[in-house]
This record gives sequence, C-alpha cells and structure tokens, in this order.
Amino acid sequence: MVELTIDGKKVSVEDGITILKAAQMNGIKIPNMCYDKRLRPYGACRLCVVEAEKQPRLLASCSTPVAPGMVILTDTPKLRKVRQTVLELMLIHHPLDCPICDKAGECDLQDVAYEYGKPEGRFIRHRKAMPPDVRGPLVELTANRCILCGKCVRICSEHQGRGALGLIGRGFPTVVQPAFGEILECDYCGQCIDICPTGALLSKPFKFQARAWFLEEKDTICPFCGCGCTLTLGTREGNVLRSRGKEDNGRSEGNLCGRGRFGFDYIYSDNRLKTPLIRKNGAFVQATWDEALMHISDSLKYIINSYGKDSVGAIGSHRCTNEDNFMLRKFMVSVIGSHNMDSSAAFGYSKVQKALDMAFGLKTHSINMKSPLGKDVIFILESDISITHPVFGLNILQAKREGSQLIVADSRDTKLTRHSSNYLKMRQGTSVALLNGMMKIILDKGLFNREIVSKTQGFTEFETSLAEYTPGKVSKMTGISEEELVSTAETIAKAKNRMISLTVSATENTKGMDTVLAASNLVILLGEDIDALQIPAEYANTYGTYKMGIRPDAGKTDVKDIFDMLYETNSLNALYIMGEDPVSTFPYNSKIMRTLKSLELLVVQDIALTETAKLAHVVLPASSWAEKDGTFVNAEGIEQKIHRIVDAPGQSLPDWQILRNLSLSMGKEIAIRNIEGVSEEIKKTIREDQKTSDKRVFNTVSYSAGEEPDMEYPLSLVTRDVLQHSGSMSTRSKALDLVVSEAFLEINEDDARKFGISDNSHVKITSRRGTIYLKAKVTDTVQPGTVFTSMHFPHGRVNALTYPSENGAAGTDAVKIESVKG
Amino acid sequence: MRVEDLDVNEMIGDVGKIICEHDRKKGVLIHAFQKIQQDYGYLPGEVLMTLSKKLSLPLAEIYSVASFYKQFHFSPRGKKVVRVCMGTACHVRGAKNVLNALEDEFGIKQGETTDDLAMTLETVGCVGCCGLAPVATINEDVVGDIGKKKLELLVKAIKEEEK
Repeated sequence: MVELTIDGKKVSVEDGITILKAAQMNGIKIPNMCYDKRLRPYGACRLCVVEAEKQPRLLASCSTPVAPGMVILTDTPKLRKVRQTVLELMLIHHPLDCPICDKAGECDLQDVAYEYGKPEGRFIRHRKAMPPDVRGPLVELTANRCILCGKCVRICSEHQGRGALGLIGRGFPTVVQPAFGEILECDYCGQCIDICPTGALLSKPFKFQARAWFLEEKDTICPFCGCGCTLTLGTREGNVLRSRGKEDNGRSEGNLCGRGRFGFDYIYSDNRLKTPLIRKNGAFVQATWDEALMHISDSLKYIINSYGKDSVGAIGSHRCTNEDNFMLRKFMVSVIGSHNMDSSAAFGYSKVQKALDMAFGLKTHSINMKSPLGKDVIFILESDISITHPVFGLNILQAKREGSQLIVADSRDTKLTRHSSNYLKMRQGTSVALLNGMMKIILDKGLFNREIVSKTQGFTEFETSLAEYTPGKVSKMTGISEEELVSTAETIAKAKNRMISLTVSATENTKGMDTVLAASNLVILLGEDIDALQIPAEYANTYGTYKMGIRPDAGKTDVKDIFDMLYETNSLNALYIMGEDPVSTFPYNSKIMRTLKSLELLVVQDIALTETAKLAHVVLPASSWAEKDGTFVNAEGIEQKIHRIVDAPGQSLPDWQILRNLSLSMGKEIAIRNIEGVSEEIKKTIREDQKTSDKRVFNTVSYSAGEEPDMEYPLSLVTRDVLQHSGSMSTRSKALDLVVSEAFLEINEDDARKFGISDNSHVKITSRRGTIYLKAKVTDTVQPGTVFTSMHFPHGRVNALTYPSENGAAGTDAVKIESVKG
Repeated sequence: MRVEDLDVNEMIGDVGKIICEHDRKKGVLIHAFQKIQQDYGYLPGEVLMTLSKKLSLPLAEIYSVASFYKQFHFSPRGKKVVRVCMGTACHVRGAKNVLNALEDEFGIKQGETTDDLAMTLETVGCVGCCGLAPVATINEDVVGDIGKKKLELLVKAIKEEEK
C-alpha cells in the first residue's frame, strides 16, 4: 500500500496504480478526455494534469503511478489556467456545431469546455473540413469533430480485439479511419460510439432522433444472448430510440455488442402482431381476445376429452421472462394436466445440463463471466464465444492480454483464433476425438494424480476406452499434427489452473452432449472442479426457462420431449407454442412442418407472425421484452429485472397475462392477479438447485462423426452463429439487417473452383433432407471440404438441410452444392 | 522478400526477448515496410493485407504506422522522382514558381505520379544546399539555381530520361 495526500485528503492505495485512479477511488474528480479504465494509459489529452509538491513539472495523472508521500493538488488556479489553454488548443480544430450534433448535452468536451472554457480563443487555425463519412451502415465518422484522443482506436484494437480503426497520418491532418480510408467494416459493436468524448463517432440509426436532454433513460437487460448485459434504453415520446452501455453498469460493466446496441428495434418490426388471429377456411381472420381464447379453450377441452391430457404439449421460450415461462408451466400442469413441456434448450443447455449431471451430479450449471481472468491456460473448443457471447468473449481476450495462454481448437478462423497463442486447426465436429486423444496423452505421460483419480467412478472403463485414441489416429481424425496434440495436452495438464470453454446450441451442429461429457472427463482427470468448465447458456433467458421447469424431466417421467413433440407425427393433438419459432430455428424443419400441420390445434403466441405462426390455428399477440416487466436469468444464474419501457402495440399482452386469461376461459381460477403474484408463486414453488457437489464420474464417450461426406454429398455443412444476429428474433431488427441481411454460404476458394462457384453467385445446396438456395461467399476462413452458414434468417431455410442430433454426437450434415446458372 | 517468409523473431533480434509478442510484431513493421517498398517501389494494399494476416495485426494498425512516415507510399511511384525544395532559401528565391511550372508541364499536382509512371513530383523541406537555391532533385541528382533557362533544361532532363 502507498500513502499519499490528494487535495489535503490522506489516502492509502494499492501500489502501482495511477494518481488518477487513486483520486477516483477516493471520490476526487480529475477532468480527462483520453482515459478509460478498460484501456492502457495513453496520456494524450493533457487535461488530467495535476500539481505535485516539490515537482516543478505538472504530472499527467492518468499515466503517473503513485509514490509514497506524494502531495497532489488537483484543482489550483495554475491547473485551471493550464487546462483552459489545453482546451483552447483542442477547440481550435473542433467546430462549434453543437446545435446539430447528437452528442450535445452528453458530450465530454462540451462539459469540460463549460467548466473551464472561456468565450474566445487566442489561436486561429483552419479547421478540418472533411464531410462526415456516412458510408458504413451503423457508425458515422465526422473527422472534423475529432480531438484525436485515440480512445476509439484503442478500444477497438485493445479491448474489442478488432482494430478496425487507426489514427491515419501525422500531425494536424491526422484522422481516425479504417485502413486506406475504406468503408468501416467491423464488428459493429459501437463501443467506439460510447467511448468517444465528442461527436466524432455517432450512431447512424439514432442520428437526429432526439436531443440528449429530451431522452428518458432506463436500464433493462439485453434480450439476446446469455451474458445478460445491462442496456440503458433512451426513450422519447414512448419510443425506444437508442441503447447504450454505461460505465460499470450491470454484469457487462458498460460493454455492449452490436446486437445489444443496435438490435432493440426488432420490437418495431413491420409484422408485429396487434390482434389475435384465428384461422377460418384456411386464412387468418382478426379476432377479439374473447373469441380467440374461447376458441382455444373449446378446442383444448374437446381434445382433452377425446384423446386425454397427454395429447397436449407446450413449448416455452428463452425470449420470455421467468414469469411467462412459469405461467406456461402452471397452465400446463394445473389447467391441462400435462407435463409435455420443452424448449429450445433441448438442443443446447439441456444437453450440457444432462452431461454435467452425469459427470458432476449437478442439476444446474452457471458460468462466471470473470472466470477467464487470471487463468494460466484457457482452452476454447470449437466455439466462437466472441460471437455467441460477445461480452464473455471480451473477458477471454482480456485474460489473454494479461498473460493467459489462449489455446483455440477450431475449424474456422475466428476472432479468438486470431488472438490465440496456439491455434489448432481441426476438422469440424471432431472435438470428442481431440479431447479423447489429449486425455490419452495425459494418461500415458502420467500428468495427473493417479491416486485420487483412479478412485473416481468409471475410471477403469474410461482408461480402457481411450486405448484406441493414439496420437497418430487422433491426428488423422482431427487434422491436428501429433506434435501439436502432445504439446497442447502437456500445456493444459501442466498449467497451474485452467478454464475450458465451449458452447452448445441449436444453431451449431459441431458439438453435442458427447463433447460436454468428454470435456468433463478432462476436467475430472486433471483434478479440477466444475468451475474449470464454462459452458454458457445460449440465450437471454435459456437458464431461466430451464429453471422454471419448462423441460421434460422436471416433473413426472414418461413425458414427451421436444423430439417427440416436433419430430413424431401423431404424438400430440394440440401444441401450445409460446415465443418460439421451431420452423426457422430448429433443425430438420420439413419434418417439423409436417408434424405441426398434422395437429388438430396449434396455438402460437409470439410478438410477430413467424414462420411457425403461419401454420397455427390461432395466433396470439404477445408483448415484447421492452413492453413488460419480469425477470431474466443470465448464463451466470443471476436473476435480473427487465422493465416495461414502452407500451405494447395494439392489443398485445404479456405472455403470462395471456396464459392467466386463458386459464380463466378454461374455467380454472389460478388466483394470480399481477406480476408480483407470479413472482411470489415462483419463490414458493421453484427451489434453488444446489451449486456444488462432490460427485465425480467418468463417462466413456467415443467419437462418432456426424453425417460423413460421401460421393454423393461430398461436403460437410457447418452451421454457426454470425456476430450480428442471435436466434431469428434479431433478423427483424432493421439496424442489424443493414449489416447482415441474408444467409450466405461460405466456401473455401479451392472448393469454389472445384464446383464452379464464383463469389456472390447463387448456389443450390442439397442434403438428404432438403434443398435450399443461398448466395455464396468465397473465403479462406473455412477449410476445404466444409461449407459454412448460419440459420438466423427464416427465408434462408437452412434448417431444411439439418437434422436434430439426439444421441449426443455432433450433427454436421453432408451436402452437395451446385452452381445456379442465370 | 515474400511477406509470407517474414520471420519476426529473426528480424527483431535480441530485443525480442524482452518485449511482448504484440510489441515484437509491431516492432518489425517498419523493417517490413522498407523491404516491401524496396521490392515493389511502394506499399501495395494487398501486400499489407498479407502482412496483416501473417502478423495477426489489424490492417488499420499497420496502415496507421505506415501513414505516419512520409517515406512510405501507397501508390506506384514514377521512375524519376522529382523533388522540389520548398525550404526557406528556396522559397525566397522562387521555389513556388518552379513547382508551378513543373505541375503545369506534366499536368500533375505535387505528390502525384504521371499516368505512365514516368515521373513523381514531390516537395521537400530542405535538400541541404541552400547556396544553390532554388533547388530540385531528380532521383539522386541535384539541379540548382533554377532560373527560366535552367527550368527548361530541367524539364528536358526529366523527359529525356523517360525514354
């Protein structure tokens, strides 16, 4: 600890921190323009200068470390004069166009000028006269307003790991620009917009929408991935106009990705439902709530009477709150009397959960977003965490910067592979083989505590099962060289501590339950706790949906899961789908459509007329996440409140209210009046699962490929998320659609030549299950023999090709592609 | 030099042992630029792109470093590089006229290159022979005391050497 005096106040702070930090920690404000706690000290703006006793020079407090006995003054007449001059110099170049600048009112430069500035400057110099660069889809660069603090450049390369911007040139003409002055092509996270102390970087969708002082800001939780970041939504006259992150706010501590920042406008999509719809003679007819609810309750009663309670099923949703999902469960259990419930988690989080239950005996698995920090070795397995969970990904990058060794095994170049210390380029879907191979090496080299581990249940079988995974064989399966396999296994085994992370979700087909089991084996083998394994739940409320009991194994046995409900015709007669679009987002959708069409009653409750809703008998309009109160549970298992920020359009209602009203129509009083009532019920009914356990079991898993490519279908189709989208909901966002608006097929240059496909041409893709047409993108980020696409876009229909993997193995699909002429 | 063959550790030498990976990569940038420029005469975009992939450094960062130095160029250079001195002595003795005359003659502005890549016209701060002001250089050759006649000779010299 170091003791020093700041403005007459004796403070004691950690050694090695800067004067600015020490002051901030003690509630003393020092003006600054180029400092951000996420970035390394830079010392560009010189506004944070302070006086130190016995020091003739002024010190830049943001880059001077504290020393014992320092006597610091942060606000003296001399300093005010210096700061005033610095500002005067900044304002030579900065145009005073605040009346037409969106930043006005919340502009750092404006605030500091207001505090220190004087009305006229002594210096005259020509201002920059560059027109604003409005070519990019979401971010606008106005070089004239830039004071060259370099924050945007640094946050982009240091923190986001992207480096799309640079300070180009030297001296006065320096501008912030992408290389060669090209159009800004980046992650569109918009972190540069938040961090810019002036109006040089602005959000295009928000341009000229509202003055900062007219905006009402309210915090809520992001509706996209499982990170559960806090969004600060700015509204005016009942419309959400923008979303931003505030420093140190929420789980994300002010970081946001492009989805959270720009994607909120999906609530204003054109096809939002405003009234209930009933299908009459094949076409939808608008109906009142009474008609719709009566129609549903009559049909349900008839179906229950004719076929029994078990002929009704329901699908819940990670997009809906805990309250909504809880009410769905309550409706199903106490009004219908059926336990046939499942959600999209069946393709992701459920698999993880099942595997971890088998290995560690835990019913719940939460991650810790901070867990990468301080780890010796971080091992990422075929997962693009910077895309699926961008803010968790930032922590991985930060850990790497701070000295962790980042090992990434993947089949595709990603941001994480670019930043990795070791990049194991593997064949898609071979994680299990890779893990087994590494464990075999660890076993053979004795890099584990045999005494403890050999007592673990299932060890003997496990050890025998690995016999065939010799480095030579595994190298052939995975495409990773033997030396790399051995050195990686050794590095991971010898590390002081480690984190192994991967993702499993419906949108990816390269990993399954087996992958999680194999990863668990590795963790147990190395004598680590379950905390070493970080597998985030995929979406905003996947964790909560699961917790609320929207899963087949929550109550009775012998209930129907999603595979029965959607892939077996005649297993159900009525299906109630809340906030989910299986036709777009679940694999093998032709089969799903066949099942749904065979139902006697399909009720879809959603915010928009989705592909699934188009098949329904009754469609009910629900409120979106910004139009209702409730709670989400993020991948960390932390419950966070979301708020009603704007009014719901038309007659749409929160999902839980619809279900309560429907219960009343069915003649069951379930005694819930308001949202607080639901919360209380949840508290009473849902108990917290234990988070620690001593159970350790080895589960033998053997590698089995998905669908192997053959003569007829020579390529492997890999599906993954793209950065700008999350599920299919975000594709309704106009802002995000400006960046990526359609599905495309990424194909390696060699394959493109082989199959006669040129960049941007249309290709026909056929698997054993269906055919789709997509635009091709020729790239070197995918390996030969594989093609890559994402399944966010309903009109892309990628799920016509895929199949659900039930047995735990990864589910890559074999496909053939043909160029489409004309 | 092929960018693909670039060896960061070899290029940076012993200093590399005490600095981090990122700084090591950044440290070799200027050497790499110089070598590329030696081979190509300028820094072609696609070569910088390859360098960016090879070093895993963002292109913007690479471009930012390169754009800081006047010695690096991003478009092809002429066979003859003509530099007109704009230093104080030359300025006083009419360097501006020399520059204007050359600009008019070849139809390019300072900093530009003729379409046939024969000549690049540039200005410099001082060549170091103020006694001869106004001065221009054609590649390594100095032409001093440029009056009206000398100017004609200068133009001729530039054009002659084109052939």
